Amino acid sequence: MAKLKLASYWAAACGGCDTAILDIHEKILDLAAAADIVLWPIATDFKYADVDAMPDGHIDVTLFHGAIRNSENKHLAKLLRAKSKTLVAFGSCAHLGGIPALANLFNKAQVFDRVYRKSPSTDNPQGVEPQPTTAVPEGKLTIPEFYDTVRPLDHVVDVDYYVPGCPPTPKQIWNVVTAIVGGQLPPRGSVVGASDKTQCDECQRKKNDKKVLGFKRIATTAPDPDTCFLEQGFICMGPVTRGGCDTRCQLSGVACRGCYGPPPGVIDQGAKAISAIASIIEAKDEAEVERIMEEIPDPLRSFNRFGIGGSLLVRKAL
Amino acid sequence: MNRISIDPITRLEGHGKIEIFLADDGSVANCYFQVPELRGFEKFVEGMPVEEVPRVVSRICGV
Repeated sequence: MAKLKLASYWAAACGGCDTAILDIHEKILDLAAAADIVLWPIATDFKYADVDAMPDGHIDVTLFHGAIRNSENKHLAKLLRAKSKTLVAFGSCAHLGGIPALANLFNKAQVFDRVYRKSPSTDNPQGVEPQPTTAVPEGKLTIPEFYDTVRPLDHVVDVDYYVPGCPPTPKQIWNVVTAIVGGQLPPRGSVVGASDKTQCDECQRKKNDKKVLGFKRIATTAPDPDTCFLEQGFICMGPVTRGGCDTRCQLSGVACRGCYGPPPGVIDQGAKAISAIASIIEAKDEAEVERIMEEIPDPLRSFNRFGIGGSLLVRKAL
Repeated sequence: MNRISIDPITRLEGHGKIEIFLADDGSVANCYFQVPELRGFEKFVEGMPVEEVPRVVSRICGV
């Protein structure tokens, strides 16, 4: 069998997905035996011009990390879509917008004002902001256009598969790699490298079907290490998050953050979270409901931490 | 003026490009380093519960 041609690219990303790929450790040698890398900025020196020169469909599989934050991200998404037989939205940012999409609570002007004018470490008396085109004595320089709204990969191109997680776990990455190499991928559009159950189905913590009388923060209260976070009153995204990560956060004393996205059948993870939380609250009257809801720290970002870009909300209206 | 673009800069975390302008004799006339990315963490952590911040800003760089 001819070796596969594999690309790994980052758009608005942190590099954690690439690091997670490298965390398959010595199995990277098996990957190298099965596939030739044709683009992987963190690890190899291929340039955008090399991708431009490829015929369409030249790459067998592209693992695309990162959200669509600017015009370069969108351009590379379209370019790699054209050059790739299979395009995988890899990790929370490409899957659902991820952490970068928390900027969708603001717009470009607000982000620029904070970053380039008001941040305490910025000295910019002329209020200079990055411009897509800048004239210099030698010619013109360009940088990408910064968008108002961060989007997941499938808002700008067709996506064949989704690998959730911030980052995907190395074990699941290896499962996906072996499925790709063995030609055993499920129908297009599927989420791969995850389970079809919820986090709660896979969580080892004890549940007692207890109702919640109020909410707590880990900044001020230490959770019991063996009991369900939600039943203790700590916001946990477990009921509305897909499993498959071996509940590594919960085993580390941290409530599920929701990075694996919604489980099968759930369209909007944040909306489902509100519904799930509402169903476990015990209150005698409306005033008590209000008091309990007030105790939820930062509900918008808590319920949509990794997924606002791909949610029904997409962004806050400003 | 001849121009060499190194785009992207590779084998590091993040996005960068270098534009090199060459004089007629081939020597470097000028060189620009550009960072074509911004995510805006400075803005979107505003108002966030303090215990959340380290778990969010760890996504500035995951390498």
